[in-house]
Amino acid sequence: MLMMIWRQFVMEWKLYLRDKGAMFWTFAFPVVMLLGFGIIFRGGGGPKLTVVYVQPAAQSTRDAALLKAMEEVQLKVLPLAPAEAEARWAHGETAAEVLPEGEGYRIRLNSYLMAQGGPTAGLVNQAWLLAQARLNGSPEPRRIPVSVESPGGKKASNYAAFLLPGLLGLNLLSIGLFSVGMVNVSYREKGKFRRLAVTPLPKWIFLLGQVLQRLTISLAQAVVLLIVGWLAFGIRNQGSYLDLVVVMTLGTACFMSFGFALSGFAETSETYAAIANLFFFPLMLLSGVYFTLDSAPHWLQRSVAFLPLSPFLSTLRAVFNDGAGLAGHGMGLLVVGAWALGAFLIAVRRFRWN
Amino acid sequence: MSESALRIRGLRKAFPKVVAVAGVDLEVARGEVFGLLGPNGAGKTTTLEMIEGLTLPDAGEIEVLGRTWAREGKEIRARIGVQLQSTSLFNRITVREALDLYGTYYPKARTTADLLDLVQLNDKADAYHVTLSGGQQQRLALALALVNDPELVFLDEPTTGLDPQARRSLWDVVRRMKAEGRTVLLTTHYMEEAEALCDRLAIMDHGQVIAAGTPASLIAQLAIPSVVELTFDGDAPDPAAFAARLGGPVEQRADLWEIPTRDPKALLPRLLETAESEGVPYQQVHVRRATLEDVFLHQTGRSLRD
Repeated sequence: MLMMIWRQFVMEWKLYLRDKGAMFWTFAFPVVMLLGFGIIFRGGGGPKLTVVYVQPAAQSTRDAALLKAMEEVQLKVLPLAPAEAEARWAHGETAAEVLPEGEGYRIRLNSYLMAQGGPTAGLVNQAWLLAQARLNGSPEPRRIPVSVESPGGKKASNYAAFLLPGLLGLNLLSIGLFSVGMVNVSYREKGKFRRLAVTPLPKWIFLLGQVLQRLTISLAQAVVLLIVGWLAFGIRNQGSYLDLVVVMTLGTACFMSFGFALSGFAETSETYAAIANLFFFPLMLLSGVYFTLDSAPHWLQRSVAFLPLSPFLSTLRAVFNDGAGLAGHGMGLLVVGAWALGAFLIAVRRFRWN
Repeated sequence: MSESALRIRGLRKAFPKVVAVAGVDLEVARGEVFGLLGPNGAGKTTTLEMIEGLTLPDAGEIEVLGRTWAREGKEIRARIGVQLQSTSLFNRITVREALDLYGTYYPKARTTADLLDLVQLNDKADAYHVTLSGGQQQRLALALALVNDPELVFLDEPTTGLDPQARRSLWDVVRRMKAEGRTVLLTTHYMEEAEALCDRLAIMDHGQVIAAGTPASLIAQLAIPSVVELTFDGDAPDPAAFAARLGGPVEQRADLWEIPTRDPKALLPRLLETAESEGVPYQQVHVRRATLEDVFLHQTGRSLRD
């Protein structure tokens, strides 16, 4: 029996390794995301915000003071002649620009790009207060000191450290939905299951071989990501490896069952792709893979805590980034476990060979 | 060993929109090649899938090699070989790997080298499944159906979609199965295939067996053993006026008319005379013996591939 499972497992791996394209993308995608975003946001604060500065006909001392202050508050200032600035604005490339107006200035914000425009306007105003104080000979305004720390109080970590657990979770979700769910729908659709059904091979052996192979892929992916994270950004697991394995195992069980369960609801690959994307994109965007939801409405934050990916990621981050134990994350683990169990029961109920 | 390879009584299966199989009885003796013949949608595949244990019948009894699915499913699976209408394998599995892998599913298996010889795929043994031609894929599917040295083999439309040469080469494999003493149940909608391969056959239409017997006896049952054909250059014209003058039935088919007759010798002079006086623009006249195609047409009023 074990021998039969092993043979299925080995054959699944052989077939997987031959599909170079699929293999490349499953391994390269998370690594590229980690390296790309990790490098872009290396400084921790993200890239500098850009503000277009529309040059006046003649530069006054007041203009010079504002420019200098804007540099000091970490804005990237792009001085442009009025015609150029207007062209850039008209193309929709400008999020925020400072125009001379009357005795002072006006800040014009692009209504589509308020996520950058809002903070930019704040910084310009801060720079303006600074410049005014200097022009009036008043004392330099004192700023509130800023310190950057990771939430668990361990070593201060950067965005890459935040992103890495997010990508680990995203991997599990996509393996579950696509490598497990999608593949099973297409096997059923193309009659691969039917061909197996006329042999004496117990079908659970085939499925188990497949699941074990996906499990090792996700393990290999996790190891690759952890190594890249360590080599490129010096990110290391801050918690216990046992806790990490526990969380990852629970997550894997949850998302694979999820894929299995969904595959019972679609007759064709096309239908399945539509259903799977319906789950994949909201889960990816709303669960804190790439960014936290702390500016989202309260009801949304409360709701995603009951979807599987968000509590999984907070628990994973607590262990991996902050070295926390699992004790404080009982609720999150419970939610993920409930999804795993529920999905498993639905999968067993809905699964069809024909 | 004298028992039947297959015995079916009162088999029925209805799907939400259609009654696929409406009471089928069949008995296949050991060592014979038995054909299920009929147009698409006649219920052949559903019948076969119920026999293979893939579809649960609504009613009826199935005895495969003297055993029933309810009690001895696993044993039946070990002793039958199945080629489904389309065999879907992994794209990047090689022929050799597929045969090896399927061999491990059975308590006893023929060697892969032996199977490769049988279906003449030696030079493709290490090619990926996806790179095989349609005929080669069908031969691999046949080899997979034989991997466990089965006593009873089911082939569902084994040659559909193949070119004539690939079809002949598949026929050879089926003949070899018979020579090895296996029982074969195959479905087809090619008359010439049924005539070439089958010891006995059953003609199915609308979920029922409408005629059964050896190919020769089925043709002999026809009251009309001969057919006169008038061929035309292009589409055949409407034969109504001609049929009225002739005083007998005339079938219009694509580029020819078919006139069934008991006595072609007596019919021919009168037929040519009538055609002459009606100004029928025919090209050639053929007289041929009736075939299974005519049996089917006679039984159902429809052509097989309609």
